[in-house]
Amino acid sequence: MKPRRQKNRFNFVTRRIRFSIITIVSLAILSVVVFAQNQTLRHSSFTTGYLLLGSVVFLAAFNLRKKLPFLPVFGSATFWMQLHIYVGLATFAMFGLHIAWRFPNGMFESFLAMLYLAVAISGVYGLYVTRVYPSRLNNLNEEVIFERIPLFRQQIALQARSLVLQASESSGVLASLYTNRLAAFFEQPRKLSYLIRPTGQVRRQLTQEIEDLDRYLKEEQRCLSRQLIAMVNQRDDLDYHYALQGRLKVWMFAHIGLTYSLLAVALLHMVMAQAFSGGLS
Amino acid sequence: MTDAHANALLSIEPLSSIDPAAFSQGISLHGIIKNDCRIHDLRQGDIIVREGDYGNSAFLILFGQAIVSLETLPASVLGRQPKKKKGWAEAIAQLWTNSHGVEVRDYSRRPGGAQGCGLVGSRDDESGTHIFLHDIPRILPAGKSVTLREGEIFGEISALTRSPRSASVVANTRMRVLEIRWQGFRELLNRHQAMRQHIEKLYRENSLRTHLREMDLFRGLPPETIEHIASKAVFESYGNFNWNQNFKSTLKQDISDRILTEPLIAQQDEYVDGLVLIRNGFSRLSRRHGDGHQTIAYLGKGQSFGLRELAHNWKTGEQRPWLLSLRAVGYVDVIRIPTAIMEEWVLPRLASSELPPPLPALEPLEPKEDRRLTERAEMMDQGLLEFLVEKRLINGTRTMLIDLDRCTRCDDCVRACAATHDNNPRFLRQGQTYDHWMIANACMHCLDPVCMIGCPTGAIGRDQDTGNVTINDNTCIGCSTCANSCPYNNIQMVEVNDKRGLPIVDHDSGAPIIKATKCDLCTDQPGGPACQRACPHDALVRIDLSTPDAITDWGKR
Repeated sequence: MKPRRQKNRFNFVTRRIRFSIITIVSLAILSVVVFAQNQTLRHSSFTTGYLLLGSVVFLAAFNLRKKLPFLPVFGSATFWMQLHIYVGLATFAMFGLHIAWRFPNGMFESFLAMLYLAVAISGVYGLYVTRVYPSRLNNLNEEVIFERIPLFRQQIALQARSLVLQASESSGVLASLYTNRLAAFFEQPRKLSYLIRPTGQVRRQLTQEIEDLDRYLKEEQRCLSRQLIAMVNQRDDLDYHYALQGRLKVWMFAHIGLTYSLLAVALLHMVMAQAFSGGLS
Repeated sequence: MTDAHANALLSIEPLSSIDPAAFSQGISLHGIIKNDCRIHDLRQGDIIVREGDYGNSAFLILFGQAIVSLETLPASVLGRQPKKKKGWAEAIAQLWTNSHGVEVRDYSRRPGGAQGCGLVGSRDDESGTHIFLHDIPRILPAGKSVTLREGEIFGEISALTRSPRSASVVANTRMRVLEIRWQGFRELLNRHQAMRQHIEKLYRENSLRTHLREMDLFRGLPPETIEHIASKAVFESYGNFNWNQNFKSTLKQDISDRILTEPLIAQQDEYVDGLVLIRNGFSRLSRRHGDGHQTIAYLGKGQSFGLRELAHNWKTGEQRPWLLSLRAVGYVDVIRIPTAIMEEWVLPRLASSELPPPLPALEPLEPKEDRRLTERAEMMDQGLLEFLVEKRLINGTRTMLIDLDRCTRCDDCVRACAATHDNNPRFLRQGQTYDHWMIANACMHCLDPVCMIGCPTGAIGRDQDTGNVTINDNTCIGCSTCANSCPYNNIQMVEVNDKRGLPIVDHDSGAPIIKATKCDLCTDQPGGPACQRACPHDALVRIDLSTPDAITDWGKR
């Protein structure tokens, strides 16, 4: 009996095409409306402004949805995320139409525009990092929960210290390297520069320095030095996890914080625009 | 049990009618009675087995009477209190009603379940905790129950086939029962022809016909043909019923040795002796590859093996052997329909469209010829397939699978779980990984729920409609039986606290009260599993791994 082939309900391509078409068609309709309003000497900025504000409110509501995981009616977070991405991208065009593709010259409007751009660009950056970092993290040997990283670092530091103490019973070569180079690596957090741009440079340097000591070590001590290299790698992997996971968390914090600021300033802008509209809206 | 007890039991019917000479010296009748049996002295009202429980033993009444309920008893009587689904208002109210402490319980406000309303009580003795009915005639009226008497056996089908108990049995007088573990019971059946025939007759009459009728292959056959097939079917069991007990140590073995220790149900290149129907458990399809065996697919409950070979041989007149081996993973219960029966009664009645494709030629002339031996499983990544089978993850029906290439480690899933469980997450976002897949430490709601075996109060149970395995916090006594049985470490024992954060302690012993906790798939929430719905990146899914279809689709998104 032949199995019935069913359509894969998890298909991403179909979803991307569907959402892209809806977004493009919606923006095309909005462009026509704006063009028509401009042709009839009406203020399209009120239309685009309210639409933009509504979109930003909707985008910010995603965080509210996350606080209500038990309610089915709001849809899954995946669905919201898709809406968040496509509505977020669409706001670039709405924003362009709203400011008539010219950067505003008033101080308040400039501040508002910059705030919007900061939120929007942080959103695009977030889209990039949330798509790229997971596989980078997965390429490491171990999966680590962010909050447990300090504990694991401490454990590795203790193991490294006891290993070097064991090695120092017969020779001080590894102990000397540990005191001068490795102690700081194992016992101190990484510098801000590493957290901003994590590289394997220190790992490579330290590995090389440990391997360079081989000619001064007996066979059993070489075995210990290999274990030390494994610990350097483990610690570096933990730091890499910390840097990337930390960046994802900082990005989320910044994106949400900027969004709330944008909402507050945009609401003020709306009130003022409405108050000084002179009946044009 | 002492030798004296065993000897005394062997003088009582029906054990006295069993010929000790039929047993080997290694597995003697006396040894079975001594090592695989246990005597229970029960009082009137004691619940012996509960409907829906999974058990691995049968019971022989030595004296006294028991009654079998013909109707399903209320869930509260069985120790299970299905969680009521929350309404919208209650669901939203969790935002401010959730506790701020860890594992907070307020037993003063909770309904006491059946014990609270006086239907059942509990007592402890040296054999453990017993739950008993206070008022048998009220709960089990005469017309809705059947009496079992001295010498009768019950619970045997569940013990042999790892299926849920079909009815509840309660002691109706003071009574003594002999509990026989599955190992001993299987040996007794193998050596005692009359007992085996009796059990098989019961099974053929009660379950087999229905089982056959439910299968696609036999659905169109007339009742008398089904009857004939059922009468000729052979019952077989393979593997270890208590596979969960040595599972972790098995994993330490070399992978190539491990596969060889799995009992063979059908061996590659041997004669095709019938259609194998998997009744319970899992089996691995493998083929020789170099010096080892490569996993091709896995089969679970309701699936069959050998139809393609049988149909090919019947159509072509060839005598092609099994193309693959079928091995028991853990415990497997199968029915074998002999080849002659298939060729005479089943295959001629199938339309050509219902027959499987012919076997690939031994020397294919066409390079594009489809040489796949199974339809779907070969589409799955070989390593992933081996990983799922080796770690027995194929047992899970709602396994939490995380795609690490999409997971941003934001912990929205954990927060959602906590928000729906009084701020106590019921899973750990860590677990076994293969490539970019992680099987998180969350209850998998297994097809073979070994955690449900041995719960003294019936607190852990399976929902008959959804298949979800849940724990009733009110009736859980914190004995850890379920947590120790779970081969995947997905049940946590926790100390419970009151609202002030102080540990709740037992009045008598002063020891902290412990409860078993695990994922309940948010059964009481209006939206279903919060973890899956909370993942914004399509990285987490609750998936059925008992068949390869869902994970294959998920992997090909």
